[in-house]
Amino acid sequence: MAEGRKPPAGRRRAPGRVARLSRADPHTLVGAYVMDAVSDGDRARFDQHLASCETCQAEVRGLREATARLAAAAAIRPRAGLREQTMLAAGQIRQLPPVTRDSPAGRVTRWRAPRYALVRLTGAGRPRAWVPRLAVAVAAASVAAAVVMGSAMHGAESRLSLAQGRSHAIAAVLSAPDVTMMTAEVRSGGSATVVMSHRDRALVFTAADLPALPGSRSYELWLMGPAGPRPAGMLPAARRGMSGPMVVSGLARGDKVSLTVEPASGSARPTSPPILMLGLGT
Amino acid sequence: MWPRQPSSSACGQADRAISTEYTYVNVSRTGPGAPGAPRETASPGSGGPPGADLGVLIARVARGDEDAFRGVFDHAAGPVLGTVRRILRDPAQSEEVMQEVLLEVWRTAARFDPAAGSGAAWIMTLAHRRAVDRVRSEHSAAQRELRAAVASVDYDEVAEAVEVSLDHERVRRCLTSLTELQREAVTLAYYRGYTYREVAELLGVAVGTIKTRMRDGLIRLRDCLGVE
Repeated sequence: MAEGRKPPAGRRRAPGRVARLSRADPHTLVGAYVMDAVSDGDRARFDQHLASCETCQAEVRGLREATARLAAAAAIRPRAGLREQTMLAAGQIRQLPPVTRDSPAGRVTRWRAPRYALVRLTGAGRPRAWVPRLAVAVAAASVAAAVVMGSAMHGAESRLSLAQGRSHAIAAVLSAPDVTMMTAEVRSGGSATVVMSHRDRALVFTAADLPALPGSRSYELWLMGPAGPRPAGMLPAARRGMSGPMVVSGLARGDKVSLTVEPASGSARPTSPPILMLGLGT
Repeated sequence: MWPRQPSSSACGQADRAISTEYTYVNVSRTGPGAPGAPRETASPGSGGPPGADLGVLIARVARGDEDAFRGVFDHAAGPVLGTVRRILRDPAQSEEVMQEVLLEVWRTAARFDPAAGSGAAWIMTLAHRRAVDRVRSEHSAAQRELRAAVASVDYDEVAEAVEVSLDHERVRRCLTSLTELQREAVTLAYYRGYTYREVAELLGVAVGTIKTRMRDGLIRLRDCLGVE
């Protein structure tokens, strides 16, 4: 890679294609990685590399201290009143318990819905557009509900959490230190988003603008591994164009997320060609 | 990325430096940093003694200590807000993200692992990631720019408190010790939220070169800050 050489044209990737890190030397990405200057695919791959590279972990730690100093150097003073607002909001948010030795991997931890997304910032008389931000908050909350649904696939006792929805726990995935996000086009239309934690071996799946299906058919989610497909649940009917979120845990190495159209009762194995196939970099 | 491992001595050193108290100087159109301009030190609140280590405060936050959370706010809100503002531009949205980050700290404090890095690094990593995620969501881009444009009209009229501290000076000086390409790569990525591909495009430099400059630039920055 000669200094100053212009990169080859046409290297822009279609959204959803996961970039391949240079297998030869993933280390070079460490600087971009700690500055979040990477694509989601790069990040997922580097995370994977990092898990088994102690030298890299030490380097990431050191460089993060340097970036924290960059942040400190950019500090501006928060408006008066923000602190007390934040304190007030904190009082309404349940704190996560610590991870203990017997916390099973991939366990979904109970927490309250991210209501703080709705915390109103009282401006100094400046009119603000609330509707879009509320919409974002609602979307976040519905993503939260998904983790819950995913856990419900693993036994009747957690089925309760379906009803409790938002009072439960996407947090494990969303707050995992290695959380990564990927998006991909769905072949028949629409797009899918996967938020995933390698550490927790869990992901949250949502889809947008999937074509409507006749009542007898539904979308079914799969984990496609080297040993074959495992059903990961039926996608609930879309609401305002959004399907999911669903939580899928128990990811294994080599898994891909896949989506097919199946009879509404679900299938044990895919009966139609996949309309989505997304590698997870596991 | 907070593997449970003992931190190296270099990290420990950086950690101490980061816990420096922030001093705010009120920079307004009327009195930009003139001698005798109003000077105020961010109070650590009742959250702890002045200069209390952020990591210690976070450990107390994990136990539900609201005073400690106030202290965390006093230490971290300024850097978080400033960084997020640089990336998002929109003042209102930046405040919102700042609040989200602090509340995330409150919520997940028990997951903070001091062996994996300083409290400041933990919080700033959360903050930067969140700002970048938001700025990259194309969905909100148009609205954000519109709102920023509208907001900037009156925002410029508002006196803005810019944090000036030893840290600030030191970082500025260390940035000047980088090569120009290193410095541009680092600041475009960190303060503007660009990906390395975007930075490469902007600077007309090969992608691989940019990746390398980001890494060796940060290493030089780390070493420069570490020795002081």
